[in-house]
Amino acid sequence: MINAISTLSVLALLFGLGLGYAAIRFKVKGNPLVDQIDAILPQTQCGQCDFPGCRPYAEAIANGEAEINQCPPGGQEGVDALADLLGVETLLLDEEHGETKPKRVAVVDEKVCIGCTLCIQACPVDAFVGSSKVMTQVIADECTGCDLCLPVCPVDCIDMIEIKPTIKTYVPTLKELVHA
Amino acid sequence: MPNINFKGGLKIENPYPSNEIDLIRIPLPDKVVLPMQQRIGNQAIPCVSIGEHVLTGQIIATIDDDRCAPVHASISGTVSAIGNHVYAHQSGLKGLCVTIESDGKDEWVDTSIGCTENYKACLPLTIYDKIRISGIVGMGGAGFPTHTKMRLAAGCKNIIINATECEPGITCDAALMEAYPTKVIRGVEVLLHITGAEKAIIAIEDDKQKSIDELNKYCNNERIEIKVIPTKYTSGAEKILIKTLLGIEVPSGKFASDVGILCLNVATVVAMFDAVVENRPLISRAVTLAGSAIKEPKNLQVRLGATYDYLLSFVDLEEGSHKVTMAGLMMGINLKGTDYSVSKNTNCIFIDKVQESVVAQECIRCGMCNTVCPVELLPQQLYWFSKSENIEKAMDYNLLDCIECGCCSYVCPSNIPLVNYYQFSKALYKKQTQEKTQIEKARERFEFREMRLERNKRERAELMEAKKIALKEKMAKDKAQKEKIAAALERVNAVKIDNKEEDAS
Amino acid sequence: MQASFLNTNQIMRQVIYALVLGVGAQIYFFGFSVLIQILLGCITAVASEAIFLRLRGQTIKPSISDGSAVLTAILLAISIPSIAPWWVIVLGVLFAIIFGKQIFGGLGNNPFNPAMLGYAFLLISYPLQMTQWPSEFLSITHASETIFGLSSIDGLTGATKLDYVKTQLMMGASIKEIGSISISQLWINIGFLIGGIYLLFRRVILWQIPISLLSGVVVMSSILFLMDSNHYASSIFHLLSGATMLAAFFIATDPVSASTTPLGRIIYGFLIGILIVIIRVYGGYPDAVAFAVLLLNITVPLIDFYTQPKVLGK
Repeated sequence: MINAISTLSVLALLFGLGLGYAAIRFKVKGNPLVDQIDAILPQTQCGQCDFPGCRPYAEAIANGEAEINQCPPGGQEGVDALADLLGVETLLLDEEHGETKPKRVAVVDEKVCIGCTLCIQACPVDAFVGSSKVMTQVIADECTGCDLCLPVCPVDCIDMIEIKPTIKTYVPTLKELVHA
Repeated sequence: MPNINFKGGLKIENPYPSNEIDLIRIPLPDKVVLPMQQRIGNQAIPCVSIGEHVLTGQIIATIDDDRCAPVHASISGTVSAIGNHVYAHQSGLKGLCVTIESDGKDEWVDTSIGCTENYKACLPLTIYDKIRISGIVGMGGAGFPTHTKMRLAAGCKNIIINATECEPGITCDAALMEAYPTKVIRGVEVLLHITGAEKAIIAIEDDKQKSIDELNKYCNNERIEIKVIPTKYTSGAEKILIKTLLGIEVPSGKFASDVGILCLNVATVVAMFDAVVENRPLISRAVTLAGSAIKEPKNLQVRLGATYDYLLSFVDLEEGSHKVTMAGLMMGINLKGTDYSVSKNTNCIFIDKVQESVVAQECIRCGMCNTVCPVELLPQQLYWFSKSENIEKAMDYNLLDCIECGCCSYVCPSNIPLVNYYQFSKALYKKQTQEKTQIEKARERFEFREMRLERNKRERAELMEAKKIALKEKMAKDKAQKEKIAAALERVNAVKIDNKEEDAS
Repeated sequence: MQASFLNTNQIMRQVIYALVLGVGAQIYFFGFSVLIQILLGCITAVASEAIFLRLRGQTIKPSISDGSAVLTAILLAISIPSIAPWWVIVLGVLFAIIFGKQIFGGLGNNPFNPAMLGYAFLLISYPLQMTQWPSEFLSITHASETIFGLSSIDGLTGATKLDYVKTQLMMGASIKEIGSISISQLWINIGFLIGGIYLLFRRVILWQIPISLLSGVVVMSSILFLMDSNHYASSIFHLLSGATMLAAFFIATDPVSASTTPLGRIIYGFLIGILIVIIRVYGGYPDAVAFAVLLLNITVPLIDFYTQPKVLGK
């Protein structure tokens, strides 16, 4: 009886010391979880998640202050990826924050633009080229489709155009391929 | 001595055997539909307009990129349409095409200017450009621009001409070699001259005895070796061929040109010969028409852009709806209907009777797929990872090295379409990598913008501070001035009062 | 290695056909009771798989007709004593199908060999019934009566030769005194050996696992035999007793739970062979196939990971 108790106690002590040592020696510095979450978020900085940008939303998720399903541009895949990273059950995208739209870019109608530069100031990734009293246009490659330029334009000259797949950019789905 | 038997691969019987595979020249089609998006490179931009009259061999579309080849008119006539037409592609998407109605005359552009027989006097750069401007791309299926390949392999020691045609059922390369053996040999001689390589090997499978005999008859160049290899599927895959012929393994992710080898399909060599010596651009190719719904398989020499329906009018086709496959049974794609046109890499069209589709069962981990993979991958593992969309693990197991040959799908006892799973994973990987790059770029721009705004704010604040200090200094200076003046005035006044007092006394 | 170009259903059927000789030998020596066990097992297997597929919301017909459930039942029915009561095979098959296959997702998803899982479950839960082996030929009526509990089995049972050898060794007798391989075991194993060679020729199974398993048995038993030939049985004895041949060609070759890389299969088979001998000699059970196979099933992902072949170009 005494033997059993003492053996287990000694083992518990040894393992406890080992774990404690490992916790200190192999501690990961900083808080990379926020960085990892931020790397998954689509960086549109659109604010549909009710936070002022992707990084604040990432920090909120890391602190447990926000759910993982508040980001429409990331789509359901983004929610699943976050669930995977955090090791939690995945959720359905919360439609109240907006619906996932297919990839779009902004295009300025050049005949209507008045060169007010409000859109340049609004764009979170500086995807506009232009200046005061000079016609402004979008750099399509840089545009993330966040929609933030739409409400600020006083003459409503910005349209969101959907990017359609071409022969070069076509990505088949698993269903299409396997049941072909 | 490298082993000409490679691990994996399959011995597959020709599903459409025939005794006669002669290359048949068919009359000019009434119209051609030429696709602008070639397999490699950006979409070509048409440089002709509707209603314009064009000559055979005239360039009708160009690409800005020097590494890519332009598109030529394959018949003379009038451009009747420039619009979207469905492509012979897995996606079934439409793309830009130029349609030309034939005027029946087949008037050629001027083919007198060029390197001609005296190509040895031309600079290599001139010849590369000639090949480019003639629209020559790889005709074995990949469609890589030939001039770029040759440029990348400049200074290579070995040239391999891929005349194996290992995909079962296709015989257009064999027909071409039987019809134009001299062009093949002389084309190889052109290659030897431009690249300065030591020797060239024409690799051919042992089931093409007639082609072997014809080539041997016309080849008297010591630097050209005609090597016969055993007939086995995937013997013609570039990396496998290089390993069996030269014993060299092309490192994963690299190309033949990186190890000093130039490997070209035999049809490409003939087209290149036509371009360099006869100044004729690529406007036609040999196509195999076969299938269980076609009585006799035939090889036709057709103009690019001819419609499938036009070609099928030259064979004995059964009535009814059929299964249409392009580019072979193993690596080909299924198409719906026949409303397509021949492009530079259409090597065959198979029309088969519709069969009951087989339902795939569960994978029983038998490992048959592992035994037949010519690249020695583990298709079974790749399948399980692809199924669960675990792209990371699939990449660990060398997903991108898969050549999509279809050997694994062929032997699977559960009839699982394995290659489709790998195509899906590769496409998903490409999409994920692109998205990651875009997200990174967007984050960088956003962070820079934040920094820029911060910097502006800070600079403005500093400016205000500096102005404030300057103003203070100015005020202090003014004050000091004023005090000095006041003091001086006081002194002056004091002196004046003193003087007054003196005068009074 | 050219593939066999059979589809999955045909593969299962070929394996069942190849079992005929070995089962025939069992019937010759011990009567028709094994057929009753097989029948009971198959009915249970098909019924339980159908019910479970319905519960999982899958279509029943394609999965049942692939023959894998029937094969599991037959293998288990062959492995247990043929005069065991009817509920033994029923419970064993139920356990094998439900906990060995269906809860993992059906065919292709199970990490353990279902028949061996069922066998281990039975051995641990019902040791008495699982060690009462028939010692004489039983007619079909006698067999049915015994299995369905209508007549007693006293006087019909004896230990297997392996069991007998083990107990004798424990009591200090030497190998020479105990005697040689029993005739029944010899022929049953030869029957399965011939069936296995047939499967190899038809390329239904690949050579790596059977050859390496038998090699493992030979190597381990030879080492022990050379150390002390009085207390350890010879390699021939181990090869032709118990379920060695059945294991080599029919059980360890179950593709779903075995290793998948060529080198991995050699290691897998070899270690099973070694373990079989070790457990037989030093373990508490007379035959060790089930445990050896199950233990190696656990190590399969590890073996697979470290035996990947070199990819062309890397």
